[in-house]
Amino acid sequence: MLIGLNFTLGGTLELVQRLAKEGEIDYCELLIDNFLQVPPSELRDAFACPIGLHIMFSKFLESDAAYLESMAERLREYIDVLKPLYISDHLARFTHKGRTLYHLAELDYPNEYHHVRQRVDWWQEKLGQRLYLENYPSIMDGGHDAPEFFERLVQDTGAGVLFDASNAVCAQLNCGLGLDRWLNVIDSTTHFHVAGYSLSILEPKVVLDTHDVELSPETLAFLTRYKDHFDKPNATMTYERDENIEYDDIVSDLRKLRAIFGHPKGGTQ
Amino acid sequence: MNSSRVIDNDLLDALMVPAKQGDYPRDSHAFVRIDCSLRVYWHSLFDICPDVLALTTPDGLAIYRPFMAWANERQLSLDWTYYLWVYQWLLQSEFRERVTPKIARALTAASAARWAVGDRSASGGIAVGCADFPELVVAWKSHHIDEGREIELVELDEPLPTPPGKFGYFTIPQFELNTFPGWSEILR
Repeated sequence: MLIGLNFTLGGTLELVQRLAKEGEIDYCELLIDNFLQVPPSELRDAFACPIGLHIMFSKFLESDAAYLESMAERLREYIDVLKPLYISDHLARFTHKGRTLYHLAELDYPNEYHHVRQRVDWWQEKLGQRLYLENYPSIMDGGHDAPEFFERLVQDTGAGVLFDASNAVCAQLNCGLGLDRWLNVIDSTTHFHVAGYSLSILEPKVVLDTHDVELSPETLAFLTRYKDHFDKPNATMTYERDENIEYDDIVSDLRKLRAIFGHPKGGTQ
Repeated sequence: MNSSRVIDNDLLDALMVPAKQGDYPRDSHAFVRIDCSLRVYWHSLFDICPDVLALTTPDGLAIYRPFMAWANERQLSLDWTYYLWVYQWLLQSEFRERVTPKIARALTAASAARWAVGDRSASGGIAVGCADFPELVVAWKSHHIDEGREIELVELDEPLPTPPGKFGYFTIPQFELNTFPGWSEILR
Protein backbone atom coordinates (compact mmCIF):
# COMPACT_ATOMS: atom_id res chain seq x y z
CA MET A 1 0.00 0.00 0.00
CA LEU A 2 1.35 3.40 -1.01
CA ILE A 3 0.55 6.06 1.57
CA GLY A 4 -0.04 9.62 0.30
CA LEU A 5 -1.23 13.05 1.36
CA ASN A 6 -3.56 15.48 -0.36
CA PHE A 7 -2.20 18.81 -1.62
CA THR A 8 -4.88 21.41 -2.10
CA LEU A 9 -3.28 24.84 -1.69
CA GLY A 10 0.13 26.37 -2.29
CA GLY A 11 0.65 27.19 1.36
CA THR A 12 1.28 23.55 2.27
CA LEU A 13 3.82 22.88 -0.48
CA GLU A 14 6.86 22.82 1.82
CA LEU A 15 5.11 20.47 4.23
CA VAL A 16 4.21 18.01 1.47
CA GLN A 17 7.70 18.17 -0.02
CA ARG A 18 9.23 17.54 3.39
CA LEU A 19 6.97 14.54 4.06
CA ALA A 20 7.98 13.05 0.70
CA LYS A 21 11.68 13.71 1.30
CA GLU A 22 11.54 12.11 4.75
CA GLY A 23 9.74 9.05 3.40
CA GLU A 24 6.55 9.64 5.35
CA ILE A 25 4.54 9.62 2.12
CA ASP A 26 5.07 7.69 -1.12
CA TYR A 27 3.03 9.98 -3.37
CA CYS A 28 1.04 13.19 -3.34
CA GLU A 29 -2.56 13.72 -4.45
CA LEU A 30 -3.15 17.07 -6.16
CA LEU A 31 -6.56 18.68 -6.04
CA ILE A 32 -5.88 19.42 -9.64
CA ASP A 33 -8.67 21.83 -10.42
CA ASN A 34 -7.12 24.26 -7.92
CA PHE A 35 -4.00 24.35 -10.09
CA LEU A 36 -5.33 24.59 -13.63
CA GLN A 37 -3.52 27.92 -14.19
CA VAL A 38 -0.18 26.49 -12.99
CA PRO A 39 1.94 25.10 -15.83
CA PRO A 40 1.93 21.28 -15.77
CA SER A 41 5.72 21.17 -15.84
CA GLU A 42 5.85 23.34 -12.70
CA LEU A 43 3.65 20.82 -10.89
CA ARG A 44 5.73 17.91 -12.16
CA ASP A 45 8.99 19.49 -11.06
CA ALA A 46 7.69 20.36 -7.59
CA PHE A 47 7.39 16.79 -6.38
CA ALA A 48 10.01 14.07 -6.23
CA CYS A 49 7.32 11.43 -5.89
CA PRO A 50 4.42 10.05 -7.95
CA ILE A 51 1.23 12.07 -8.18
CA GLY A 52 -2.48 11.29 -8.08
CA LEU A 53 -5.06 13.72 -9.48
CA HIS A 54 -8.27 14.46 -7.59
CA ILE A 55 -10.96 16.59 -9.24
CA MET A 56 -13.25 18.50 -6.89
CA PHE A 57 -15.38 20.92 -8.88
CA SER A 58 -15.97 19.51 -12.34
CA LYS A 59 -19.59 18.94 -11.22
CA PHE A 60 -19.71 16.62 -14.18
CA LEU A 61 -23.20 15.38 -13.36
CA GLU A 62 -24.56 18.94 -13.62
CA SER A 63 -22.25 21.13 -15.72
CA ASP A 64 -22.95 21.88 -19.36
CA ALA A 65 -21.04 20.06 -22.09
CA ALA A 66 -19.04 23.04 -23.38
CA TYR A 67 -17.73 23.85 -19.90
CA LEU A 68 -16.72 20.25 -19.29
CA GLU A 69 -15.13 19.81 -22.71
CA SER A 70 -12.97 22.88 -22.06
CA MET A 71 -12.02 21.57 -18.65
CA ALA A 72 -11.26 18.10 -20.01
CA GLU A 73 -9.03 19.55 -22.70
CA ARG A 74 -6.96 21.35 -20.08
CA LEU A 75 -6.96 18.37 -17.71
CA ARG A 76 -5.58 16.15 -20.45
CA GLU A 77 -2.48 18.35 -20.64
CA TYR A 78 -1.85 17.70 -16.95
CA ILE A 79 -2.51 14.00 -17.36
CA ASP A 80 0.01 13.80 -20.22
CA VAL A 81 2.75 15.57 -18.27
CA LEU A 82 2.12 14.25 -14.76
CA LYS A 83 1.27 10.65 -15.68
CA PRO A 84 -0.80 10.27 -12.51
CA LEU A 85 -1.32 7.11 -10.51
CA TYR A 86 -5.06 7.68 -10.87
CA ILE A 87 -7.67 10.35 -11.60
CA SER A 88 -10.66 10.72 -9.34
CA ASP A 89 -13.82 12.80 -9.15
CA HIS A 90 -16.91 13.13 -6.98
CA LEU A 91 -20.42 11.76 -7.16
CA ALA A 92 -22.53 14.27 -5.28
CA ARG A 93 -25.06 17.02 -5.82
CA PHE A 94 -23.50 20.50 -6.04
CA THR A 95 -26.63 22.50 -6.91
CA HIS A 96 -30.37 22.28 -6.47
CA LYS A 97 -32.66 24.05 -8.94
CA GLY A 98 -29.73 26.16 -10.06
CA ARG A 99 -28.83 27.21 -6.53
CA THR A 100 -25.46 26.36 -5.01
CA LEU A 101 -25.29 23.86 -2.17
CA TYR A 102 -22.45 24.89 0.11
CA HIS A 103 -22.68 21.53 1.88
CA LEU A 104 -22.86 18.96 -0.91
CA ALA A 105 -25.84 16.62 -0.98
CA GLU A 106 -26.03 12.89 -1.56
CA LEU A 107 -27.47 11.52 -4.77
CA ASP A 108 -30.76 9.66 -4.87
CA TYR A 109 -28.95 6.55 -6.06
CA PRO A 110 -31.76 4.35 -7.42
CA ASN A 111 -33.56 7.17 -9.22
CA GLU A 112 -30.49 8.83 -10.67
CA TYR A 113 -28.61 5.73 -11.76
CA HIS A 114 -29.19 5.99 -15.49
CA HIS A 115 -28.29 9.68 -15.62
CA VAL A 116 -25.14 9.06 -13.60
CA ARG A 117 -24.12 6.11 -15.73
CA GLN A 118 -24.51 8.16 -18.90
CA ARG A 119 -22.50 11.07 -17.50
CA VAL A 120 -19.74 8.82 -16.17
CA ASP A 121 -19.37 7.22 -19.61
CA TRP A 122 -19.25 10.66 -21.22
CA TRP A 123 -16.82 12.21 -18.72
CA GLN A 124 -14.45 9.25 -18.94
CA GLU A 125 -14.50 9.53 -22.71
CA LYS A 126 -13.71 13.25 -22.57
CA LEU A 127 -10.82 12.72 -20.16
CA GLY A 128 -9.57 9.68 -22.04
CA GLN A 129 -9.06 7.97 -18.71
CA ARG A 130 -10.62 5.56 -16.29
CA LEU A 131 -12.09 7.60 -13.45
CA TYR A 132 -12.24 6.66 -9.80
CA LEU A 133 -15.39 8.03 -8.17
CA GLU A 134 -15.60 8.84 -4.48
CA ASN A 135 -18.34 7.61 -2.16
CA TYR A 136 -20.28 10.21 -0.14
CA PRO A 137 -20.18 10.44 3.68
CA SER A 138 -23.87 9.65 4.11
CA ILE A 139 -25.88 11.35 6.81
CA MET A 140 -29.37 10.28 5.83
CA ASP A 141 -30.94 6.92 5.00
CA GLY A 142 -30.11 7.10 1.31
CA GLY A 143 -26.64 5.89 2.21
CA HIS A 144 -28.00 2.36 2.34
CA ASP A 145 -28.33 2.42 -1.45
CA ALA A 146 -24.73 3.44 -2.06
CA PRO A 147 -22.78 0.14 -2.10
CA GLU A 148 -25.08 -1.53 -4.63
CA PHE A 149 -25.08 1.64 -6.74
CA PHE A 150 -21.29 1.74 -6.92
CA GLU A 151 -21.03 -1.98 -7.65
CA ARG A 152 -23.43 -1.59 -10.56
CA LEU A 153 -21.72 1.55 -11.81
CA VAL A 154 -18.31 -0.12 -11.85
CA GLN A 155 -19.72 -3.04 -13.76
CA ASP A 156 -21.55 -0.92 -16.34
CA THR A 157 -19.05 1.87 -16.96
CA GLY A 158 -15.64 0.41 -16.18
CA ALA A 159 -15.07 3.27 -13.76
CA GLY A 160 -13.46 2.55 -10.44
CA VAL A 161 -14.35 3.66 -6.94
CA LEU A 162 -12.15 5.99 -4.95
CA PHE A 163 -13.27 4.33 -1.78
CA ASP A 164 -13.14 6.71 1.16
CA ALA A 165 -12.89 4.48 4.22
CA SER A 166 -13.74 7.20 6.73
CA ASN A 167 -16.74 8.26 4.64
CA ALA A 168 -17.98 4.68 5.00
CA VAL A 169 -17.49 4.96 8.76
CA CYS A 170 -19.49 8.22 8.73
CA ALA A 171 -22.28 6.40 6.91
CA GLN A 172 -22.14 3.55 9.39
CA LEU A 173 -22.38 5.88 12.37
CA ASN A 174 -25.05 8.10 10.80
CA CYS A 175 -27.39 5.67 9.14
CA GLY A 176 -26.26 2.24 10.29
CA LEU A 177 -24.87 1.07 6.96
CA GLY A 178 -22.69 -1.93 7.81
CA LEU A 179 -19.06 -1.63 6.77
CA ASP A 180 -19.14 -5.15 5.37
CA ARG A 181 -21.66 -3.96 2.77
CA TRP A 182 -18.69 -2.29 1.05
CA LEU A 183 -16.53 -5.40 0.72
CA ASN A 184 -17.22 -5.95 -2.97
CA VAL A 185 -16.39 -2.31 -3.67
CA ILE A 186 -13.19 -2.47 -1.64
CA ASP A 187 -12.16 -5.64 -3.44
CA SER A 188 -12.84 -4.02 -6.81
CA THR A 189 -10.58 -1.01 -6.40
CA THR A 190 -7.03 -0.01 -5.64
CA HIS A 191 -7.47 3.62 -4.62
CA PHE A 192 -8.57 4.81 -1.21
CA HIS A 193 -9.05 7.91 0.90
CA VAL A 194 -9.04 8.32 4.64
CA ALA A 195 -9.47 11.32 6.97
CA GLY A 196 -10.69 12.48 10.33
CA TYR A 197 -14.29 13.49 10.99
CA SER A 198 -16.15 15.55 13.60
CA LEU A 199 -19.56 15.70 15.24
CA SER A 200 -22.32 18.17 14.43
CA ILE A 201 -22.96 21.01 16.85
CA LEU A 202 -26.61 20.11 17.40
CA GLU A 203 -28.09 16.96 18.91
CA PRO A 204 -28.82 14.31 17.83
CA LYS A 205 -25.21 14.25 16.73
CA VAL A 206 -24.32 13.34 13.18
CA VAL A 207 -20.81 12.65 11.94
CA LEU A 208 -19.36 15.06 9.38
CA ASP A 209 -16.46 14.46 7.01
CA THR A 210 -14.39 17.45 8.10
CA HIS A 211 -10.73 16.48 7.49
CA ASP A 212 -9.74 18.53 10.53
CA VAL A 213 -8.76 16.03 13.20
CA GLU A 214 -6.87 12.77 13.65
CA LEU A 215 -8.15 9.45 12.35
CA SER A 216 -10.79 7.90 14.57
CA PRO A 217 -10.37 4.55 16.33
CA GLU A 218 -13.35 3.29 14.32
CA THR A 219 -11.63 4.12 11.03
CA LEU A 220 -8.35 2.52 12.09
CA ALA A 221 -10.21 -0.59 13.26
CA PHE A 222 -12.00 -0.78 9.90
CA LEU A 223 -8.71 -0.61 7.99
CA THR A 224 -7.11 -3.17 10.28
CA ARG A 225 -10.01 -5.60 10.10
CA TYR A 226 -10.16 -5.52 6.32
CA LYS A 227 -6.49 -4.92 5.65
CA ASP A 228 -6.24 -7.82 3.22
CA HIS A 229 -9.12 -6.42 1.17
CA PHE A 230 -7.58 -2.95 0.98
CA ASP A 231 -3.96 -3.92 0.43
CA LYS A 232 -3.10 -5.13 -3.05
CA PRO A 233 -0.53 -4.36 -5.76
CA ASN A 234 -0.57 -0.68 -6.86
CA ALA A 235 -2.97 0.26 -4.08
CA THR A 236 -2.91 3.85 -2.76
CA MET A 237 -4.29 5.35 0.45
CA THR A 238 -4.48 9.14 0.54
CA TYR A 239 -4.66 10.77 3.94
CA GLU A 240 -6.68 13.99 3.63
CA ARG A 241 -6.13 16.95 5.95
CA ASP A 242 -7.66 20.34 5.14
CA GLU A 243 -7.79 22.07 8.54
CA ASN A 244 -5.47 22.14 11.56
CA ILE A 245 -2.57 21.25 9.30
CA GLU A 246 0.22 20.49 11.77
CA TYR A 247 3.25 18.47 10.72
CA ASP A 248 3.45 16.32 13.85
CA ASP A 249 -0.26 15.49 13.82
CA ILE A 250 -0.14 14.46 10.18
CA VAL A 251 2.97 12.33 10.68
CA SER A 252 1.30 10.65 13.64
CA ASP A 253 -1.65 9.59 11.48
CA LEU A 254 0.54 8.58 8.54
CA ARG A 255 2.51 6.31 10.85
CA LYS A 256 -0.70 4.71 12.11
CA LEU A 257 -1.47 3.85 8.49
CA ARG A 258 2.06 2.50 8.02
CA ALA A 259 1.63 0.38 11.12
CA ILE A 260 -1.40 -1.25 9.50
CA PHE A 261 -0.17 -1.60 5.94
CA GLY A 262 3.61 -1.60 6.26
CA HIS A 263 5.88 -0.13 3.63
CA PRO A 264 5.10 -0.60 -0.07
CA LYS A 265 6.53 -3.63 -1.80
CA GLY A 266 7.07 -2.02 -5.19
CA GLY A 267 4.66 -2.14 -8.06
CA THR A 268 3.71 1.42 -8.87
CA GLN A 269 7.06 3.15 -9.26
CA MET B 1 -39.62 0.70 1.81
CA ASN B 2 -39.69 2.13 5.31
CA SER B 3 -42.13 5.06 5.41
CA SER B 4 -39.93 6.88 7.92
CA ARG B 5 -36.94 6.67 5.59
CA VAL B 6 -35.59 10.14 4.77
CA ILE B 7 -32.90 10.71 2.16
CA ASP B 8 -30.93 13.83 1.27
CA ASN B 9 -33.12 14.38 -1.77
CA ASP B 10 -36.14 14.90 0.49
CA LEU B 11 -34.37 17.80 2.20
CA LEU B 12 -32.97 19.70 -0.78
CA ASP B 13 -35.51 22.52 -0.67
CA ALA B 14 -34.60 23.20 2.96
CA LEU B 15 -30.82 23.09 2.73
CA MET B 16 -30.57 26.82 1.98
CA VAL B 17 -33.84 28.10 3.41
CA PRO B 18 -33.72 28.61 7.20
CA ALA B 19 -37.50 28.98 7.48
CA LYS B 20 -37.99 25.42 6.20
CA GLN B 21 -35.84 23.86 8.91
CA GLY B 22 -38.81 24.13 11.27
CA ASP B 23 -40.77 21.72 9.08
CA TYR B 24 -38.72 18.89 10.60
CA PRO B 25 -38.77 17.59 14.19
CA ARG B 26 -36.13 19.24 16.35
CA ASP B 27 -34.81 15.86 17.52
CA SER B 28 -34.42 14.38 14.02
CA HIS B 29 -31.35 13.74 11.89
CA ALA B 30 -33.08 15.71 9.15
CA PHE B 31 -33.18 18.83 11.34
CA VAL B 32 -29.49 18.48 12.18
CA ARG B 33 -28.53 17.70 8.59
CA ILE B 34 -30.29 20.90 7.43
CA ASP B 35 -28.55 22.81 10.21
CA CYS B 36 -25.16 21.56 8.98
CA SER B 37 -25.95 22.94 5.54
CA LEU B 38 -27.28 26.29 6.76
CA ARG B 39 -24.24 26.87 8.95
CA VAL B 40 -21.96 26.85 5.92
CA TYR B 41 -23.79 29.82 4.40
CA TRP B 42 -23.61 31.62 7.76
CA HIS B 43 -19.88 31.04 8.14
CA SER B 44 -19.22 31.84 4.49
CA LEU B 45 -20.66 35.30 5.12
CA PHE B 46 -19.59 36.27 8.60
CA ASP B 47 -16.20 34.53 8.82
CA ILE B 48 -15.15 36.21 5.60
CA CYS B 49 -16.77 39.60 6.30
CA PRO B 50 -16.71 40.13 10.09
CA ASP B 51 -17.59 43.82 9.64
CA VAL B 52 -21.02 42.69 8.44
CA LEU B 53 -21.51 40.64 11.60
CA ALA B 54 -20.52 43.71 13.62
CA LEU B 55 -23.64 45.45 12.34
CA THR B 56 -25.81 43.21 14.49
CA THR B 57 -25.82 40.83 17.44
CA PRO B 58 -23.14 38.11 17.53
CA ASP B 59 -25.48 35.42 16.22
CA GLY B 60 -25.93 37.45 13.03
CA LEU B 61 -29.46 36.16 12.63
CA ALA B 62 -31.02 39.59 12.05
CA ILE B 63 -29.04 39.70 8.82
CA TYR B 64 -28.65 36.05 7.93
CA ARG B 65 -32.27 34.91 8.16
CA PRO B 66 -33.93 37.77 6.24
CA PHE B 67 -31.19 37.74 3.62
CA MET B 68 -31.58 34.02 3.02
CA ALA B 69 -35.38 34.42 2.78
CA TRP B 70 -34.92 37.31 0.31
CA ALA B 71 -32.45 35.21 -1.67
CA ASN B 72 -34.92 32.35 -1.76
CA GLU B 73 -37.74 34.59 -3.00
CA ARG B 74 -35.51 35.69 -5.88
CA GLN B 75 -34.02 32.21 -6.35
CA LEU B 76 -30.51 33.65 -6.21
CA SER B 77 -27.94 31.08 -7.27
CA LEU B 78 -25.69 31.82 -4.27
CA ASP B 79 -22.71 31.20 -6.52
CA TRP B 80 -19.67 33.52 -6.46
CA THR B 81 -22.03 36.52 -6.49
CA TYR B 82 -23.32 35.67 -2.99
CA TYR B 83 -21.67 38.66 -1.28
CA LEU B 84 -22.74 41.13 -3.97
CA TRP B 85 -26.35 40.24 -3.24
CA VAL B 86 -25.77 40.53 0.49
CA TYR B 87 -24.61 44.09 -0.15
CA GLN B 88 -27.69 44.85 -2.18
CA TRP B 89 -29.91 43.37 0.49
CA LEU B 90 -28.19 45.45 3.19
CA LEU B 91 -28.87 48.62 1.20
CA GLN B 92 -32.62 48.04 1.35
CA SER B 93 -32.64 46.79 4.96
CA GLU B 94 -32.78 48.44 8.36
CA PHE B 95 -28.96 48.37 8.27
CA ARG B 96 -28.61 50.57 5.20
CA GLU B 97 -27.46 53.69 7.09
CA ARG B 98 -24.61 51.73 8.67
CA VAL B 99 -23.20 50.13 5.54
CA THR B 100 -19.79 51.73 5.15
CA PRO B 101 -17.55 51.96 2.07
CA LYS B 102 -15.26 49.49 3.84
CA ILE B 103 -18.09 46.94 3.98
CA ALA B 104 -18.93 47.56 0.33
CA ARG B 105 -15.35 46.85 -0.71
CA ALA B 106 -15.06 43.84 1.61
CA LEU B 107 -18.19 42.20 0.20
CA THR B 108 -17.08 42.88 -3.36
CA ALA B 109 -13.65 41.43 -2.63
CA ALA B 110 -15.25 38.38 -1.04
CA SER B 111 -17.26 37.70 -4.18
CA ALA B 112 -14.25 38.17 -6.43
CA ALA B 113 -12.24 35.81 -4.22
CA ARG B 114 -15.01 33.24 -4.34
CA TRP B 115 -14.88 33.38 -8.13
CA ALA B 116 -11.13 32.79 -8.05
CA VAL B 117 -11.60 29.79 -5.76
CA GLY B 118 -14.45 28.15 -7.60
CA ASP B 119 -14.27 29.06 -11.26
CA ARG B 120 -12.88 26.33 -13.48
CA SER B 121 -12.92 28.17 -16.80
CA ALA B 122 -9.70 29.06 -18.60
CA SER B 123 -9.85 32.68 -17.37
CA GLY B 124 -7.06 33.84 -15.09
CA GLY B 125 -8.87 36.58 -13.22
CA ILE B 126 -11.99 38.65 -12.71
CA ALA B 127 -12.57 42.38 -12.26
CA VAL B 128 -15.66 43.56 -10.41
CA GLY B 129 -16.85 47.16 -10.49
CA CYS B 130 -19.37 48.78 -8.18
CA ALA B 131 -21.35 51.94 -8.76
CA ASP B 132 -20.67 52.98 -5.16
CA PHE B 133 -16.87 53.21 -5.30
CA PRO B 134 -14.40 54.07 -8.06
CA GLU B 135 -11.85 51.28 -7.78
CA LEU B 136 -11.94 47.85 -9.42
CA VAL B 137 -11.73 44.75 -7.28
CA VAL B 138 -9.59 42.21 -9.12
CA ALA B 139 -9.09 38.57 -8.16
CA TRP B 140 -6.47 36.30 -9.69
CA LYS B 141 -6.41 32.53 -9.63
CA SER B 142 -3.31 30.81 -8.30
CA HIS B 143 -0.83 30.52 -11.16
CA HIS B 144 2.26 29.29 -9.35
CA ILE B 145 2.31 26.20 -7.23
CA ASP B 146 3.47 27.95 -4.07
CA GLU B 147 1.09 30.91 -4.32
CA GLY B 148 -2.53 31.40 -3.37
CA ARG B 149 -5.21 33.49 -5.01
CA GLU B 150 -4.63 37.23 -4.95
CA ILE B 151 -7.16 40.00 -4.48
CA GLU B 152 -6.35 43.58 -5.44
CA LEU B 153 -8.10 46.92 -5.17
CA VAL B 154 -7.09 48.69 -8.37
CA GLU B 155 -7.28 52.46 -8.80
CA LEU B 156 -7.38 53.36 -12.48
CA ASP B 157 -5.89 56.54 -13.95
CA GLU B 158 -8.92 56.79 -16.18
CA PRO B 159 -12.03 55.38 -14.52
CA LEU B 160 -14.14 52.88 -16.42
CA PRO B 161 -17.76 53.64 -17.21
CA THR B 162 -20.02 52.99 -14.25
CA PRO B 163 -21.63 49.52 -14.44
CA PRO B 164 -25.22 49.67 -15.65
CA GLY B 165 -26.42 48.02 -12.45
CA LYS B 166 -25.04 48.22 -8.94
CA PHE B 167 -22.27 45.84 -10.01
CA GLY B 168 -20.65 44.67 -13.23
CA TYR B 169 -17.79 42.33 -13.97
CA PHE B 170 -15.52 41.07 -16.67
CA THR B 171 -13.17 38.12 -16.77
CA ILE B 172 -9.51 38.42 -17.67
CA PRO B 173 -8.04 35.79 -20.00
CA GLN B 174 -4.48 35.79 -18.67
CA PHE B 175 -2.79 37.50 -15.74
CA GLU B 176 -2.64 41.09 -16.90
CA LEU B 177 -5.34 43.72 -16.62
CA ASN B 178 -4.90 45.55 -19.91
CA THR B 179 -8.26 45.55 -21.65
CA PHE B 180 -11.83 46.45 -20.82
CA PRO B 181 -14.24 44.24 -22.79
CA GLY B 182 -17.32 45.91 -21.27
CA TRP B 183 -19.41 45.04 -18.24
CA SER B 184 -21.23 41.76 -17.83
CA GLU B 185 -24.36 41.81 -15.73
CA ILE B 186 -24.38 40.10 -12.35
CA LEU B 187 -26.81 37.24 -12.78
CA ARG B 188 -29.08 35.89 -10.12
